[in-house]
Amino acid sequence: MTAWQNKQPEWVARLDAAVSEVFEMMLARNCSPAEIADAIAPCISARILFSGVIDGECVLFASESVARATAEALLGIPSEPGDPMAGDAIGELCNMIAGGWKSKLGSSEAGCAISPPSIAIHDSVIDLSAEEGIRRFYSFEGHVFGVHMNF
Amino acid sequence: MRALIIDDSSVMRKVIERALRQSGLDLTEVTEASNGEEALEVLRKDAGNSQKIGLIISDINMPVMDGLQFLEARRDQQLAPGVPVVMITTEGSEPFVLRAIAAGAQGYICKPFTAEQVKARVAPLIEAV
Repeated sequence: MTAWQNKQPEWVARLDAAVSEVFEMMLARNCSPAEIADAIAPCISARILFSGVIDGECVLFASESVARATAEALLGIPSEPGDPMAGDAIGELCNMIAGGWKSKLGSSEAGCAISPPSIAIHDSVIDLSAEEGIRRFYSFEGHVFGVHMNF
Repeated sequence: MRALIIDDSSVMRKVIERALRQSGLDLTEVTEASNGEEALEVLRKDAGNSQKIGLIISDINMPVMDGLQFLEARRDQQLAPGVPVVMITTEGSEPFVLRAIAAGAQGYICKPFTAEQVKARVAPLIEAV
């Protein structure tokens, strides 16, 4: 059994807490776990790598409209289709969630480093149903995004 | 007062600028840099300005040159000495905080943050200069 399988319930709870904290403090929105969907429409993803005591990744994926809603909430100004800030907002959201999750680990595990986010645009549906790891979906004001963590 | 904000995320640079303005700081100009290397160049050029940068806010995790490398290079090259530097970062673990302080950071704020937290950390540093 791998480290994440042993600690999955605890790490999921920390992920939920990190997501909620980021949305309350930075976006002034409530965000809570949503029903699991296996696939998300053509979307933007951001990937953060953990290295050191913990090796793994945190991937956040959202549709373009959810990315724009995130940018609007972060910046307090409207975001139009094609806004380059939308992808950047998803990258920063992933960065803060991964960092918040890491900060909630025990001191021995928190010794891992996290990379800057890499952002990708996808033309087709992302299906993570066969992927191992922690897969969670979250909703704020009806906007749903996913977080996948693998170790 | 002029401020330099260093972060690889353009969204976060805007969010930090907004938090600084909400803190009541009298910002006359904000200069942005997307990594430590760009920031060093900004400070080199700023040396000849009559109204110099009076506050530096920096992320840690950035490509090209990260925030800790920036702090150490700034100290070694004696750029903007005496200007307060506050780190705003997701890296809140003790080794990063200690290394940042040793390299000259006077303040440390972990993301996520509120405008109130920014005010509480930054305002005393500005008043002390």
